Amino acid sequence: MKNREKRGYIKRILAKRGMGQVITVTIGLIAMVVVFSFLNPFFLTSRNISNLLRQIAPTLITGIGQSYVLITGNIDLSIGSVVGMSCMMSATLMTKGVNPWAAVAITYVAALAMGFLNGQLISKAKLPAFIATLGTMTIARGIAQIVNNNYNTDSIGKAGEGFMNFFYYGKTFGLYNTIWIAFVLWLIFNFILSQTRTGRHLYAVGSNIHAAHLSGVNIPATITKAYLVSAFCSCTVGLITTAISGMGTMDAGTSYELYAVAASVIGGVSTLGGQGILLGTVIGAAIWGVLQNGLQFAGAPVAIRNIVIGVIVIITVLLDIVVRYNKKAGRRQAAAPGTQASV
Amino acid sequence: MKRFAVVLLLGMFVLASAGMASARDWRIFLITMDQMDQHWVTVDAGARKAAEELGNVIYQWMAPDVKDDAKQIEMINNAVAAGADAILLAANGPTAVIAALREAAAAGVKIIYVDSPADFPAEQTLATDNEAAGRTAGETLRKALEEKGITSGKIGIVNVNAATMSTVLRERGFRAAFADSSFEILETQYGEGDAAKSKEIAANYITQGVVGIFGANEGSTVGVGNAIREAGGGVIGVGFDKSNTILQLIRDGHLLAVMAQNPDVMGYEGMKSAVAVLEGKTLDAEYVDTGVSVLTKDNI
Repeated sequence: MKNREKRGYIKRILAKRGMGQVITVTIGLIAMVVVFSFLNPFFLTSRNISNLLRQIAPTLITGIGQSYVLITGNIDLSIGSVVGMSCMMSATLMTKGVNPWAAVAITYVAALAMGFLNGQLISKAKLPAFIATLGTMTIARGIAQIVNNNYNTDSIGKAGEGFMNFFYYGKTFGLYNTIWIAFVLWLIFNFILSQTRTGRHLYAVGSNIHAAHLSGVNIPATITKAYLVSAFCSCTVGLITTAISGMGTMDAGTSYELYAVAASVIGGVSTLGGQGILLGTVIGAAIWGVLQNGLQFAGAPVAIRNIVIGVIVIITVLLDIVVRYNKKAGRRQAAAPGTQASV
Repeated sequence: MKRFAVVLLLGMFVLASAGMASARDWRIFLITMDQMDQHWVTVDAGARKAAEELGNVIYQWMAPDVKDDAKQIEMINNAVAAGADAILLAANGPTAVIAALREAAAAGVKIIYVDSPADFPAEQTLATDNEAAGRTAGETLRKALEEKGITSGKIGIVNVNAATMSTVLRERGFRAAFADSSFEILETQYGEGDAAKSKEIAANYITQGVVGIFGANEGSTVGVGNAIREAGGGVIGVGFDKSNTILQLIRDGHLLAVMAQNPDVMGYEGMKSAVAVLEGKTLDAEYVDTGVSVLTKDNI
């Protein structure tokens, strides 16, 4: 009796939508790790694994935010700039003598305001997501430059040590805090996405916004929530960036929105909306991080690295499209036996 | 009486405009690679200071948001269209913007290079001899390692990207300092000058067991210093440029030395040279090496 239940449980997990892609890319990830460890003995040392997990964390966190937005059928181009804005704001406040935790709170408020603006522009003012977040992207970057008068900040000094340890340099139970932060955020946001009504609404809006509207889903609230989550994640990574360098740099976070899209898409989150699970984003971020780390250890010249990364992203997305297309074709054949499945 | 008044007024007007012509303001633009790198902000500060001192300069700093050839060409064209008398330019690359410079020169605009020259004749170039400075950094690192009894091992370079001439030259000079040694310099990794990315790259180098790391610009150097601090020492780091954070890292012993450039001098003297040329004077030198100082714990 017990064996049957166990098999049923595993089957249920495998049958979950989006799992197919996750399994495919997990196999890819394992293959990559094996190859890189052959190419360089230092790759599998405990020191590197520790560093590697910590290097993956920011990509995962911004990936979670971007996944939320992608699932609603939108995109957030402002992620990188909000990272930069948060980095500069928190560092500037701290160098001016503000208590680090007060600075953290103020920075989150500013970032969430940016996320709220995104959500409202897209859902109420009906701006296309690409355009709206393009606008907030440049605004946020501008704020990052103005906040300290177009200068990078001074060092946040001894007063910022607690802050730096919390977000980056400290360890808890043997793992870097950054890894814990990413893990906790993943737990929370995964729970919201898979177990709550808000999560279901997010998928509904992304799958068919008109049907969702007719079913009584509050579209503006749902879309705004997605962008608030994204802004929260971007702010967290901005604070991590401040902690890494102990100062604020105006160009922090450049291109992060694209890496977040890559992590999401590799993990099976569809750019068309309504599809994908955050477990996929974890694997996507891991693949991204392993590639960066592994290619450095392999001594690959930068040109090769860029090409390799691009090819892998395309292959994983292609795999997803091919698998989904074959599923669709298979279903059509089953539904109308005897008729030729149209190509 | 009326005619006399008219002639008097006309005479005053002629005198006034003649006066204006001989003491006219020069429109001078500073065009850098981007507006966020501290290096350019300091060049601007130097140029602005000279403009204020001289008093007859209408000064404006123009730079694209990111380093991009097409955008820099656009800025040059905009400056010419806005009536520039002279342009202080930090060229993205030796050949990238030559066409725009040709048009500017044809329109009578005087060109002065600050920090990075292009392959197009100009009045003067004020820059750091990047290859020599890189070599000095390499020699400083090598000497420190040999003093500790280390004559072989791996060395890592954290550079910006493959397209920025100044940092490419610094790396070339750095590698030259190790040409006849038993040290192995690993494949260069690029961090785009981002302090956080550079820190991760340097940390990876430390995992691979390097004995020394070189940061080719300010952001790279901050990253190198932070990585060495986290590792608890054992690796010697040298770099470029100074900032509050970098000076602190040197004081705390995580960085051995940095090559401090003088971007403010580039801007200041560049502005002065521009005005001198516009006023018809000849310049003393075609190339001014604004130099580097080697900053260590002992002299900051």
